[in-house]
Amino acid sequence: MKEILKKLCIDRGVSGNELQMLAVIKELVGDFAEVSTDNMGDILVSMGNKDADRHIMLDAHMDRIGLVVTYINDEGFIKAEPVGGIDLRTLQSSAVKVLGKETILGVICTMPPHLSKNDDELSKDKIWIDTGLSADKVKELVSLGDTVIVCSEFRELLNNQVAVSALDNRAGCAVLVKCAEHLKDKTLPCRLSLVFSVQEETSELGAGISAYTLEPDEAVVVDVGFAKQDGVPDEKSGKIGCGAIISISPVLSKKVTDKIKEIAKRLDMPCDYEVCGGSTGTNADKISSSRGGIMTGCISVPEKNMHTQVEVVSLDDMEKIAELLSVYVQEGGVGNA
Amino acid sequence: MLDYGLLERLCKADAPSGFEEEVREIVISEIKDYADEITVDNMGNVLVFKKGRATPKKKLLLSAHMDEVGFIVTDIKSDGTLKFASVGGINDTAVFAKQVKVGKNKISGVVNAKPIHLSSADERKKVPPMDSLCIDIGAKDRKDAENYISLGDMITFDSPFENKNGTIISKAIDDRFGCLVLIEMIKSDLPFDMYFGFVVQEEIGLRGAKAAAYTVNPDCAIVVEATTAADVPFAEDEKRVCLVGGGAVVSHMDRSTIYDKEYYKIAMSANTKTQTKTMIAGGNDAGAIHCSRNGVRTIAVSVPCRYIHSSSSLASVDDMESVLEVVRYTAEKILSE
Repeated sequence: MKEILKKLCIDRGVSGNELQMLAVIKELVGDFAEVSTDNMGDILVSMGNKDADRHIMLDAHMDRIGLVVTYINDEGFIKAEPVGGIDLRTLQSSAVKVLGKETILGVICTMPPHLSKNDDELSKDKIWIDTGLSADKVKELVSLGDTVIVCSEFRELLNNQVAVSALDNRAGCAVLVKCAEHLKDKTLPCRLSLVFSVQEETSELGAGISAYTLEPDEAVVVDVGFAKQDGVPDEKSGKIGCGAIISISPVLSKKVTDKIKEIAKRLDMPCDYEVCGGSTGTNADKISSSRGGIMTGCISVPEKNMHTQVEVVSLDDMEKIAELLSVYVQEGGVGNA
Repeated sequence: MLDYGLLERLCKADAPSGFEEEVREIVISEIKDYADEITVDNMGNVLVFKKGRATPKKKLLLSAHMDEVGFIVTDIKSDGTLKFASVGGINDTAVFAKQVKVGKNKISGVVNAKPIHLSSADERKKVPPMDSLCIDIGAKDRKDAENYISLGDMITFDSPFENKNGTIISKAIDDRFGCLVLIEMIKSDLPFDMYFGFVVQEEIGLRGAKAAAYTVNPDCAIVVEATTAADVPFAEDEKRVCLVGGGAVVSHMDRSTIYDKEYYKIAMSANTKTQTKTMIAGGNDAGAIHCSRNGVRTIAVSVPCRYIHSSSSLASVDDMESVLEVVRYTAEKILSE
């Protein structure tokens, strides 16, 4: 699982710029599954029995939050704006990678203490990046619209946990790849589509498009969910290492959710639940209302520090979720329920 | 040309105040074949004498500090996370959601960050104070953490080093750059005998330099440092203090020292780019050296450095070369009087 995840944690892939993920997905599943893309750039992986009545879709978004270059000033400083829910607090004096013609290391500009007041408010209108390069050199290497990510190294913590940026939702992507590996030599009672979808962080665009295109009978979304940590309420989170966070929500299919719960119980897999009063804030919201409505469930990998460069997940949790999903698919989902 | 490969090794070494071992080892192994006398004093300062072509009337001390700003473990919480305090002056903004290394064994950790989704509008606008944060190493609980961590362990930033297109981005340029200049001087053929101090604990009150100046008992001193440059887009005119790319910074006055007028003129007249600060800001080991024993005539020469005391500071290679030139020129001029 660690190796799969490492391969998926590439710099590229800020929402709207997911193109480079295709080569990674092809490398991981191309030997045993058919890989294609749609108009928006979603990656569709086809497996199982193509003539089966039942069609199950598993979705994980592959885009990551970041910044986009909007302006370059005469001194070579680069102005940028958020793409997705970037946390301004994490940017202060952080090293960043400007993904231009080549990747350039830079730093988010901050004021030294003698010029800053404690009550200075962070603002998305004040994001400047310093590469130390002249304006001419910057303009040669960077174009408006290029994306920027916060630097972060793939680091292993204790107890099989890892810390790096973009685990939201490369962790979910890795779960799907692992699930596909479990299923590659199995005879499935259904058609299976794995979707690595684009632009979740900005508008959940890709999941809606791909669900429309594929027209599945049911879908399960794999994303990251809040892990318990300081300041995070118990009812909104699951403990890291607990296995999966299963979502319960009015927008989700009770049939699918119950089936997921039942399999988890059978596998003796401890789970936490996240109950939402309305929509889930994941791709499940778009998929479940696609076409004439698609029965959808949602499973999350517990993650600390979401939307920062130090997101933390447990590889054990990801293994368990991959196993749960592969059982779900082998049993044909809720098709026979 | 300075040895920038050595600068990389120096910057990557982890050595907050009081934990200078790693830098001390590099310094000693680099200079042992070139110096005439090397002593490590009771505080951990490395004091060096190097014979030159002539013995001058005056005793000159060149000083740079080995320590960097960092953190120290103050408590292990029941959930296995670590409370910490800063060692030296670090802004709250530089800490949130950063990757760190803990203890001699360099256990990977992250500074926890409450997810933006669960933060109120007010919380999102301000980086929370350091004392409200904790470091996560992935431990299950206090007992688990205690297998790896002890109270008082050092913590340093885990951030990239880059030297590209004439720009260096790294932690700890303050003051591994000064150590690099001193090592370069010791490796070169000197016109006069000189004394060198690689000192400890600058960041927590100029403590090592005080002892070193007492022991060496010099007539005059040159402090080689990195100093705050604030030439960022939202600072103007004199508030920029000094400019990256503007050459070596020679101060006439800062918050701890009024510098020797004659030495100031000498240093500013070196045959390279020089500048002085446009605000009375900052301070360095000169503050402890110039008032040692019966007084020491002192000057400081610094590389301008943006985002100093953070995980990613930025400086220019051209400025670094200028500092070396100014230090060489000033030392020779002072001693040939």
